Amino acid sequence: MSCEDNHDKKDADRKARRSRALTIVSGVSEAGRAGAAGTSAPDAASDAAADTASAPRYWRSVAERDRTAAWEQAAHREFPPGASELNDDVSRRSFMQLVGVSTAVAGFGVACRKPNEKIVPFVRRPEEVTPGNPQHFATAHELEGFATGLVVESHEGRPTKVEGNPDHPISLGAATSYDQALVLGLYDENRARQISRNGDPIAWRTFLDDVSRRGQALAADGGAKLRFLTEPTASPMLGDLRRRIIEKFPRAKFVSYSTLGGEAGFEGARLAFGRPLQPRQHFGEAAVILSLDADFLGDGPEQLRHSRHFAARREPGTNMNRLYVVEPSMTITGGMADHRQRLRGLDVAAFTLGLIAALTDRPGFESLAPLAGLARAQSAGKTWDAKWLAAVARDLEKNRGRSLVITGRRQPAAVHALVNALNVALGNLGKTVTFGAPVLVDGTNGALALGSLAEDIAAGQVDTLVITARNPAYTAPADLKFAQLLRRVPNTIYHTLYEDETAAASHTLVPAAHVLESWGDARAVDGTASIVQPLIAPLWGGIPESEILAAFVGDGDVGAHQLVRRYWKDRLGASQDFNAAWERWLADGVIAGTAVPAEEGLAVDAPALAGALSPLLAPKPEALELAFVRDAKVFDGRFGNNAWLQELPDPMTKLTWDNSLQISQTTAQKLGLETGDLVSVDFRQRKMEAAVMIVPGHVDEAVTLPLGYGRTGEGEAVAKGVGFNANLLRASDALWFGRGVTLTKLDERYKFGLTQDHWTMSPDGRDIPPPAVETPLMQLLKEGSEFHQELEARRGPAATIHTPVDYSSQKYKWAMAIDLNRCTGCNACVTACQSENNIPTVGKANVMKGREMHWIRIDRYFSGSVEDPTVITQPLACVHCESAPCEYVCPVNATVHSDEGLNEMAYNRCIGTRYCSNNCPYKVRRFNFLEYNGDVTAARQMGMNPDVTVRSRGIMEKCSFCVQRIERKRIDSRIAGVPIADGDIQTACQQGCPSAAITFGSLHDTNSRVSKLHASPRRYDLLHELGTRPRTAYLARVRNPNPELARAE
Amino acid sequence: MQDPIEQPIQFDHRHHTRDEGIDCRYCHNTVDRSPHASIPPTQLCLNCHSQVWNKSPLLEPVRQSFFENRPLEWRRVYKVPEFVYFNHSIHVNKGVGCASCHGRVDLMAAVEKATPMTMGWCLDCHRNPEPNLRPVEEVTNMVWKAEGDPAEAGRLLAAKNEVHTRTSCTTCHR
Repeated sequence: MSCEDNHDKKDADRKARRSRALTIVSGVSEAGRAGAAGTSAPDAASDAAADTASAPRYWRSVAERDRTAAWEQAAHREFPPGASELNDDVSRRSFMQLVGVSTAVAGFGVACRKPNEKIVPFVRRPEEVTPGNPQHFATAHELEGFATGLVVESHEGRPTKVEGNPDHPISLGAATSYDQALVLGLYDENRARQISRNGDPIAWRTFLDDVSRRGQALAADGGAKLRFLTEPTASPMLGDLRRRIIEKFPRAKFVSYSTLGGEAGFEGARLAFGRPLQPRQHFGEAAVILSLDADFLGDGPEQLRHSRHFAARREPGTNMNRLYVVEPSMTITGGMADHRQRLRGLDVAAFTLGLIAALTDRPGFESLAPLAGLARAQSAGKTWDAKWLAAVARDLEKNRGRSLVITGRRQPAAVHALVNALNVALGNLGKTVTFGAPVLVDGTNGALALGSLAEDIAAGQVDTLVITARNPAYTAPADLKFAQLLRRVPNTIYHTLYEDETAAASHTLVPAAHVLESWGDARAVDGTASIVQPLIAPLWGGIPESEILAAFVGDGDVGAHQLVRRYWKDRLGASQDFNAAWERWLADGVIAGTAVPAEEGLAVDAPALAGALSPLLAPKPEALELAFVRDAKVFDGRFGNNAWLQELPDPMTKLTWDNSLQISQTTAQKLGLETGDLVSVDFRQRKMEAAVMIVPGHVDEAVTLPLGYGRTGEGEAVAKGVGFNANLLRASDALWFGRGVTLTKLDERYKFGLTQDHWTMSPDGRDIPPPAVETPLMQLLKEGSEFHQELEARRGPAATIHTPVDYSSQKYKWAMAIDLNRCTGCNACVTACQSENNIPTVGKANVMKGREMHWIRIDRYFSGSVEDPTVITQPLACVHCESAPCEYVCPVNATVHSDEGLNEMAYNRCIGTRYCSNNCPYKVRRFNFLEYNGDVTAARQMGMNPDVTVRSRGIMEKCSFCVQRIERKRIDSRIAGVPIADGDIQTACQQGCPSAAITFGSLHDTNSRVSKLHASPRRYDLLHELGTRPRTAYLARVRNPNPELARAE
Repeated sequence: MQDPIEQPIQFDHRHHTRDEGIDCRYCHNTVDRSPHASIPPTQLCLNCHSQVWNKSPLLEPVRQSFFENRPLEWRRVYKVPEFVYFNHSIHVNKGVGCASCHGRVDLMAAVEKATPMTMGWCLDCHRNPEPNLRPVEEVTNMVWKAEGDPAEAGRLLAAKNEVHTRTSCTTCHR
């Protein structure tokens, strides 16, 4: 760019900044608006809730449903007030001064001379490296002790993108947002960097000497005062190191702690079958599913596998499954439900017993008879819909051997045991549910284990505490007062990624190596082992966990690589070629033959179970219930410093950079609360403040608080001070649910960074056909039904103001299909896109101004009542209109059409008028209001995708259909002389999607998957009536209601 | 176009290419399979120079780089902007010769920029590639000339090499 261009550009930027919300609207839109005015224009002045008759069929927020004045006002604007103004950190005046300085500097010619750039080749180029072509390495990410297999893309040694490993039994090629955001976490400049003792830097050797000296002293009494506090793990190598440590220090103890406690499942199996086992569900086999507070699609170590198998059975037809969900707050699993029942968490046990009571006197359920007395007694007089429960019971009964009852991590062992008994009685054991020997090294990892450690510390029984668990001072239940106790331990060694709350209470800090920097091993829920291999040497001297443990058995300088090799060499035995096996394991990402077989011959001792359960199911007091929930973005807080995850809108609430006290509308009204009210939350003499949010579908007489926020650690600049700390109220005996919480309204309001009303496709509340479509299965199967008529009108040729372009001479005609019947709204696609396309984060203040940059958003639509809504999630990125409204308003031809039908953005042409965004009816264009990439650190730069331009301030951007992936494949195919085959190109969102909801390919290939989906009877085009001819087609969601309940409704 | 650029080593393409007849791809060996042609690693220089001229003071920086494991820092001669994604492999595999863009490197004592590398210059060829095509096996030949009618040869080569140039923005800008 020459100097003159530069000046022009800056002028244009300045002009763009001055211009307020632009008012150009396409003629089509105006017509639509006028047409709608007569029929459903709400009274803009009225703030009161509209009645149901005039409420829109689908709505994204309660405000939109009720058409409040505030919503009306916001909908008139493309961006919230202030979006186009620069009033953030710098005043306009000082900003202009800064601009003046940089322009002046540019004027003196610095920017006009050709920069003196260096090319720095390798000294010795590794054989497998071809500069310019990425490499891919298999590894695994362990979360809560269980692994997901990953494939990581690396450019010249810099990991840039995490994908799932298709050969891994859990990943099946997909990856969660947590997995994909690892890339950002790796390059996080806030990470701990220095080994230190009492604040003074020390060397690794000094640390080893220290451990060895201390070890000798501790060994005197068999390590009676030595404790290790770790994350739950299934790593065989770490398990072996522990064994060696216990051999040397027989009286030392390992305690593993998971904030989210995964042990109820084991305990439930012990109660039912007599020994702890790992339950595994097989959704591919299940025709009828009942989830009792189990968010199996959005949470847990098997969510990717479950999503894939569940979605496969959503294909409409005779094989389609039916999902019943009983849950307290709206989850993505609840959003997929055919029938959903709101129920408070502590009532789920009684509901389960009610189900057993309904089944016990049916023929074939004799095995449940011993539980009948307990079931009748406990479930009597409860308030749920008895007809609903009876219908579910009959449906389960009709589908014996093909049904599945599942409960989640928040429910106690007793409920897990009852669910096991139910599945056995329903003949599901060995079919839809199996049990295997647990693969975790520790049998327990809940609050009890941590509690016993706390007792030991309080009793002065602990001299040296080695913590490799993630931030227990923050995550521990409040009643343990763990942070205070930590300070009483004479010597605490904390192995950590960040200098967090726990670091502040520890003596020796050892920076942890990131998973992408470490050698190790890990196992999936089914036992399949993977070798964890590093993508890069530790950036800031991080040490893998194994090396800390090895230091206690004198192997501190062996290194994690040798530790893991040694372990597996011993295990393989001398008779086999270890190096060949090792190379194969690394290449495959899995070690064949390590899966745990399903246990045979399990039987429930129902009388014993009834006896054991009676005391566990004490009646709960009738009072306002407090529930905690794992956060969909920051997990238990460990991903709090990850801006991608912080800015990810929550799948259901669409909240960014925060958590909230979730409450139902009815209960909120009863308590006189509104969204945004700050309240004091009192529970068992403990207090915290939180902001209220009314969430549709939340159960009455209960509130829900997501964990993981309100962080105070000094070392985490991103996480610090975001949201409210729910752990302040969490107690060891009320980890998930407790009754008797009180809310006191404070005289203060709180502002959320909510995206649910952003990017509306119906400005002014203009009537548009519902963007998301759903239908009952019966309607779909009936030819000529209302549904078919509606969809028929929403596809096919439409009038357009353009002369249609003939694409027949092109080799490929790129298109996408998004199946709403498969999409759960899990957000994996959003993070995938963010990572692949170098999309910046903007922070809460900017999100509130509607400046979030995600190229793909997931619109979450509710329909029905605020209390019992149904949900559809709709991923929406640029739909690549063949007749694109954005293109003909661009004054500089920065957005144009490619020969194959892609709607392209030429960033370097864009002058930032934003006309295109204004004229885009789908609102999928994103504008860089500020230099969001301006303060990107050198480390972060390493993680950018070098195939995608990093955009600067004043530039419009949007989904490109991952054109960088298309062009790479095109060049490969043109050199090889073979055409691009269907499935060769996966867009990032498609690749990350666990439920295979997104399909990409060429419409010229009539056999391609995308062609077939475009021809589906469920296909419709979004805003078809505008004649934009989008290349992205949507497939309507289909529900499979129980006819019995459908009639009742 | 531009004056020759001083490099850390007086590497002379005239000597290596013209006199010794070393193929371009001996050093720039990823040119046919990667977006980058690649500046060779130091180790590659020493394939020959551990035997030939291994005491030459001119080669001292090369030996130093190798033994100290410190890369040589070459100065960039050809530069396209950050938002341009040029790919060497597709051009070389479709019969665009090295000399078409980089000029007679075999006559340059120090490499200098031979072509403007502007968008208009790129588009000239993308709109009409035929004058710049040659048989794929001749891409590194610095003096190749079409026999007979150049226009006819270009047409035949475009068909034979299956050349389909594109001018959509995303061909180069992503």
